Amino acid sequence: MKFTIKHEIKGRLRVHLPMKRLSFREADTLEYYLSNFAEIRQAKVYERTADAVVTFACDRERIIGILKDFSFDKVKVPEKVFECSGRELAAEYYDKLVTTVILHYGKRLVLPVSVRRLWVMAKSIKYAWRGIKTLKNKKLQVELLDAMAITAAVHTGDFNTASSVMFLLKIGDILEDWTHKRSVDDLARRMSLNIDKVWLLTEDGEVMIDSSDVKCGDKVVVRVGNMIPFDGEVAIGEAMVNQASMTGESVAVHKGIGMSVFAGTVVEDGELTISVTQTEGSGRFDKIVKMIEESEKLKSSLESKAERLADKLVPYTLLASGLTWLVSRNVTKAVSVLMVDYSCALKMAMPISVLSAIKEASEYDITVKGGRFLEAVAEADTIVLDKTGTLTKAQPTVVRVVSFDGESEDELLRQAACLEEHFPHSVARAVVEAAQKKDLLHDELHTKVEYIVAHGIASEIDGEKAVIGSYHFVFEDEGVEIPEDKKSLFEELPDEYSHLYFAKNGRLAACILIEDPMREEVKAVVEELRTQGFEHIVMMTGDSERTARKIATEAGITEYYAEVLPEDKAGYIERAKAEGRKVIMVGDGINDSPALSASDAGIAISEGAEIARQIADITISSSNLESIATLREISMLLMKRIKFNYRTIVGFNTALIGLGVAGILPPATSAMLHNGSTVALGLKSMTNLLPEDKNESRL
Amino acid sequence: MKLKGIGLFALGTLFGLEGIKLLSSKDAKKVYAKCTAGVLRAKDSVVTQVTTLQENCTDIYEEAKAINAERAVKDAEAEVSEEE
Repeated sequence: MKFTIKHEIKGRLRVHLPMKRLSFREADTLEYYLSNFAEIRQAKVYERTADAVVTFACDRERIIGILKDFSFDKVKVPEKVFECSGRELAAEYYDKLVTTVILHYGKRLVLPVSVRRLWVMAKSIKYAWRGIKTLKNKKLQVELLDAMAITAAVHTGDFNTASSVMFLLKIGDILEDWTHKRSVDDLARRMSLNIDKVWLLTEDGEVMIDSSDVKCGDKVVVRVGNMIPFDGEVAIGEAMVNQASMTGESVAVHKGIGMSVFAGTVVEDGELTISVTQTEGSGRFDKIVKMIEESEKLKSSLESKAERLADKLVPYTLLASGLTWLVSRNVTKAVSVLMVDYSCALKMAMPISVLSAIKEASEYDITVKGGRFLEAVAEADTIVLDKTGTLTKAQPTVVRVVSFDGESEDELLRQAACLEEHFPHSVARAVVEAAQKKDLLHDELHTKVEYIVAHGIASEIDGEKAVIGSYHFVFEDEGVEIPEDKKSLFEELPDEYSHLYFAKNGRLAACILIEDPMREEVKAVVEELRTQGFEHIVMMTGDSERTARKIATEAGITEYYAEVLPEDKAGYIERAKAEGRKVIMVGDGINDSPALSASDAGIAISEGAEIARQIADITISSSNLESIATLREISMLLMKRIKFNYRTIVGFNTALIGLGVAGILPPATSAMLHNGSTVALGLKSMTNLLPEDKNESRL
Repeated sequence: MKLKGIGLFALGTLFGLEGIKLLSSKDAKKVYAKCTAGVLRAKDSVVTQVTTLQENCTDIYEEAKAINAERAVKDAEAEVSEEE
């Protein structure tokens, strides 16, 4: 495609496409095309001006070549990219912001004074009403102050001040709304992109296929801990389904044959075969967005403490205004105190700070569901880490299979894999992968999988009862026996591996030795977390004491708990919270979900089980644990920035009030200084929190 | 004076009878729609202008950063050669 170069420096190019503007689709297509080249570091497409900015790390000719090769018809873009682009949303809010600004300044040029006054009066009623409504809560909230300031300004005939206060408040509202929409969108994007494989029920049994290949009427099997990928009707089975993301109701609902189930809800217990009624591309993304928006979690997260900081000021301002009146007996002066409105500055600076922190976090593949959780991360003194999948690599590997019943190792592995493939846990995945590597194909041998969270699986193979799972589950719960002649073999099982026991008909058939190497960065991250002020760094695992001890020593963690059940993890967190500690929980699997929701901020590893991601407040990419430290750093810097903003706004504006009351500054100057400082702080709050060089080295 | 009053009254009555009809007629609505479309176009072009301005500002900012980076490199080189 032909294009013109608008601006060029080394490593950065801005080009203009030969059209007036691009549609959202076209812009997404171009951006998708460009960002797929490894040599392009960043590509940004402006749909409104049909411009594209490319930063690159190769020679210029290559980039020109790439751009020349581009054509809208040639590029094949997955539908998901459009569904999740967020471009339209950004454009909508950008438009809203610019329009508000233009309207505010433009109407001074166009409309006569009298009309403007009527306009201001009409608009002020809305704010007055908002203020009155807050009185119902029996709390002094900023909205009341806003209402008083605006009403007072209108009454004293100071229409300009009333108008500019309302203008700043409106900008703050738009930004706040944007922050919210954006974080919901980011989250939904993650969630909708992550469900990619589903179990399709065919005549020959279950097959794993890409969710994009599913058609209406297909039968899809969903098991415990997994998200229902499509809207549909239950064809076979019964289950308890958690629809919290949809209804806000945290108690699971029973679903039986013929009942409707919804995309994005999670099977908590049981197993369902669903006849799909609606596949992807039919607004699934929007649905997820709606679900999340409606969930209680986000609603309350808007009420973050930082965002309500301004409330604290209300009584003081009222008091100051009253005092001024008592001392000076001058209504105008008393009103002028109300007029230097702290709240609009705070209202603008706070959402901008939070928005930009959430955006910055997303650059490190961290998705935060709301500003409240950044606050929790910053204040936390205890961090609980799950071992499997968090401290260790998400992919444990099978080292060896030790046979106890004389069957060949391969045969045992095949049977174990057959059971384990239905279990959304990394150890289970390891067994399946080991079988695949050895080309041990299997037909579904067993009957229905009974599922027992955290312990293992029970089922039947060729009429024999088969169980697979931890020591606790296999030997203590199921009462499996070790063959007499193999006792010594059992004693000699090497300690450094995790053991997975496989038993048939109540007798131990095999022990699968699993190695789960620790991530290389763990030690450094633990150290960093300690310097970041975490007093308790705790490791928890369902594994045996010796495996836990080994990993904990390697990681430099002194506090660890082995053979922990899911309820106990949550219990520990509850106890810590009762002691007045703030707790972060990091986990990946379904057996973490009670703990994740019990903690102040639950962090899920994004490749873990679906339910963890839904319950979690924050998700991080599994590729690097350092993002936990990065998250903490961003959160702490954000809190620092918020405090700085708060102090600056309060200090500066109090000075303005003082100077105004003393008569040193004329009202016009103080209004200008007030607005100017608000905008300046807003702009400053938009900058990245972490220094740039750090950013580069981490990427 | 009296005449003027009567004239105004007559005009007012006339407007009341016919003017409202005129203002809400189909043709009038077309005029309103055109005006509104004009306003929307004007708004749109202003938003585009703002975007262009933003793009240019980013260009300038990036270029400024590049200049400073180059200077820093030169300074560092100069220091190294002085040390030698």
